[in-house]
Amino acid sequence: MKFDTIIIGGGLSGLISGIYLSQRGLQCVIISSGQSALHFSSGSFDLLNNLPDGTNVQKPLDAISELIKQAPTHPYAKLGENKFKALTQQAEDFFKNIKISIQGNHEENHYRVTPMGTLKPTWLTLKNLLISENGKCLPIQHPGIFNVTGFLDFYSQFITDEFLKMGTKCSIHSINLPALENLRKNPTEMRSVNIARIFDKQENIKELVQILKAESKDCDSIILPAITGLNREDVVDYLRKEINKPIYLLPTLPPSVPGIHTQQKLRSVFQQNGGVYMLGDTVLRAEMKGNRISQIYSFNHGNIPFVGQNFILATGSYFSQGLIANTERVYEPIFDLDVTFTPNRTQWYNSDVFESQPYQSFGVKTDNTFRCMREGKIFENLYATGAILEGFNPLKEGCGAGVSILSAMYIAEQILSK
Amino acid sequence: MKQNEITQSFDVIIIGGGATGAGIARDCSRRGIKTLLLERLDISTGATGRNHGLLHSGARYAVTDKESAEECIKENMILRKIASHCVEETDGLFLSLPEDDLSYQSKFVEACNQAGIRAEIIDPKEALRLEPSANRNIIGAVRVPDGAVDPFRLTASNVMDAKLHGATILTYQEVIKIIREQNRVIGVKVLDHKTNEIKSYYAPVVVNAGGIWGHNIAKLVDININMLPSKGALLIFGHRVNNIVLNRCRKPADADILVPGDTICLIGTTSSKVPFEEIDHMRVTPEEVDVLLREGEKMAPILAQTRILRAYAGVRPLVASDNDPSGRSVSRGIVLLDHATRDGLEGFITITGGKLMTYRLMAEWTTDLICKKLNLSAICTTATEKLPGSRESIEEISKKIISVPLTQRNSTIYRHGDMADRFSENTPLDNSLICECEEVSVGEAKYALNELDVNNLIDLRRRTRIGMGTCQGELCACRAAGLMSDMKKICTNRAKADLTSFLNERWKGMFPIAWGDTLRECEYTAWIYEGVCGLTSSSKK
Repeated sequence: MKFDTIIIGGGLSGLISGIYLSQRGLQCVIISSGQSALHFSSGSFDLLNNLPDGTNVQKPLDAISELIKQAPTHPYAKLGENKFKALTQQAEDFFKNIKISIQGNHEENHYRVTPMGTLKPTWLTLKNLLISENGKCLPIQHPGIFNVTGFLDFYSQFITDEFLKMGTKCSIHSINLPALENLRKNPTEMRSVNIARIFDKQENIKELVQILKAESKDCDSIILPAITGLNREDVVDYLRKEINKPIYLLPTLPPSVPGIHTQQKLRSVFQQNGGVYMLGDTVLRAEMKGNRISQIYSFNHGNIPFVGQNFILATGSYFSQGLIANTERVYEPIFDLDVTFTPNRTQWYNSDVFESQPYQSFGVKTDNTFRCMREGKIFENLYATGAILEGFNPLKEGCGAGVSILSAMYIAEQILSK
Repeated sequence: MKQNEITQSFDVIIIGGGATGAGIARDCSRRGIKTLLLERLDISTGATGRNHGLLHSGARYAVTDKESAEECIKENMILRKIASHCVEETDGLFLSLPEDDLSYQSKFVEACNQAGIRAEIIDPKEALRLEPSANRNIIGAVRVPDGAVDPFRLTASNVMDAKLHGATILTYQEVIKIIREQNRVIGVKVLDHKTNEIKSYYAPVVVNAGGIWGHNIAKLVDININMLPSKGALLIFGHRVNNIVLNRCRKPADADILVPGDTICLIGTTSSKVPFEEIDHMRVTPEEVDVLLREGEKMAPILAQTRILRAYAGVRPLVASDNDPSGRSVSRGIVLLDHATRDGLEGFITITGGKLMTYRLMAEWTTDLICKKLNLSAICTTATEKLPGSRESIEEISKKIISVPLTQRNSTIYRHGDMADRFSENTPLDNSLICECEEVSVGEAKYALNELDVNNLIDLRRRTRIGMGTCQGELCACRAAGLMSDMKKICTNRAKADLTSFLNERWKGMFPIAWGDTLRECEYTAWIYEGVCGLTSSSKK
């Protein structure tokens, strides 16, 4: 099989580079082993919330020069200040262009609402999710929080107590439909995605409208857990129109319905642009010629190679096994690329789980154009993007999605300019 | 700190909520003694909850310590009867590997027989048929009546029975002072960690059942007990690779016992002296992990490919005899000290040494002494009367909750025995699962919250196994926190603080073994709780 670009990994960064390249006429394949981080997304993409030294960041563009000083191998440092600025704007245009509606922009962080009801700074938030512009108050005064009876992954009481601190007084309600009773009979079925399938059906949505109408008389707005919009996007708009009140979604514990919907949307945009998406396959090994990757082999395709001009490694970090740790080292399993890590295992962790964990900053070494290397020698046509990269802490810096999106677009530009 | 002088009188005050303390509370209350048990944390938080969960046959001690071996086998047979829902009758094998001296086997079998332990040499092929996970290269095998015992359940059942007989059990109450009147102890002052109040309780007899912490309790009245804290590290694997307890047939050494329990198995232990300053902060070192893995793989080679869930360590309360200040001649036997005769202090007893297996016997001896001091003649019934949970057969309990989904029914009966029907309102809402790994339902969690003295998420884990499975509290922790706040057991701020400390407690056991799949799980947990949910350590405030 021959492609212009072969992308290993079908998460955010793999899909974005794939869409970017196929929109510009390159024949791409994405080989994905399964779920990605989008499946448990908050529904928001962070760009930069904190500098490596812990300083809070309000305006990411203003902080980038300081970040480059503090963390010279950070993916943003490799982009450089100007490119970083240009790419953030491009990314926002990119989402608009493929009709993923978002709130927020790169000028200043806004705040998303966590499943615990607290606020956290972020860059872009999917439409319909509740946000706060200033991190101090919410745009609603007396919302009704409606949870599905028996749904254990959404916490109305936590949210109510946190919102009260910001002057928003919630009332708590529950939703019950005959269709939900069937789910409840099986003790493991009351999970967000299963509930969302129920609320994809028009007759159930109509019943939901009746419940919300009847119970929201004293509410200025309605808050629902993000359990709608798995396979259709119009549910919240429809509810808004029928009930004539602002309606907001809040993220639940995983799986994330908005995240899965976004993943599916990105995938279909990729395929509409001529991309080939192979799901459930794992890349096993590669063949090299000199300082170039010539072809790779996958589990499903046995001895039929994938031959390509360029290769993008978007396999993520430990969870998705882009990186693997054993008792002695951290390695990259497909190409055995150079990985930055501390040799002494005791130094991979901090004993407080909420402190910065060094293992989270380990990743594959690249040059400033994100080309990978082995034993110090650069591969000319192998690029790494997203969570597998070295030099950043996605949680402490609040930059995981930003690194995935910006590095993917940057690599795509590099490949196009060749 | 509020000085709130609440005074209450009892016949006996027991300090320490491990298996021994709970056993004494049960024994005393059954003999009609007005009993108070005080525990500074939750029940089973010390060595009780940090061991193998091995129902020793005594075979391990037969060669070196006949007295302990005899105590073990007697208690082993008693626990099978009175605590059947806490015990799994798995049997045990003592394996000789090619590197072991096979002549030890005959000495071992003879010593077992002398101690009254059934020990049967079997053909290595037969042993491998019985336990396919054992090393294919074994050159000898002896079958003994070992088993598995769940110490959390055992202690909780003792507490439950004590309460049914009128005992008062108070957790999160730390004894800060022992009140004396001349040469007599008359009560204790405690700090209530839940309310930050100081309270006083009075009784003519005070029992120190604090395990290794008993050393510090005795110090409150200037009594020195020559204790030697001995750390033992263990690893928990994510699968139950063996169904029979595996031991090495050699002189007891590091990492030579592999015990199956619930859904997992455990390898242990190591043995090293630690200073008293460290007993509250046990950490498993990379060297200990390496030894446990290396030795464990020799007995069951599949362990090399089995995911490790957690590493933890307990502290054994070893006691040197009074005439040996150097501490060289330590015994694992039971040490019962009447401080009236030993130190001239009336009304104060220390029970220590021993092991989980002999907790009931330790309680019996202690209660006999308490009775003597109180001039009572009531006799002990704990060796014959069954514990709550063990009073009905599995068939009888199953019938009562027949409509609960099968896997869930099996898990709940396994965990709670005949108490399983207590929490089965059997509505779809109560049957829905909080913890998928361990099949813990909303109903079971509610039962534990209402009836089993649960104060926080970590307590709930000890009563139900929430967060003990493969995912180590990925989503169930949050669900349980939500449930606790919905049931108004705790406010949402407390619930979140609780979640934070629960996650940190899990992490403590995970980072020593965080590579491979365990590290994947750790990364995922961090993404969910820190990333998506925005929890930080400052959520405590």
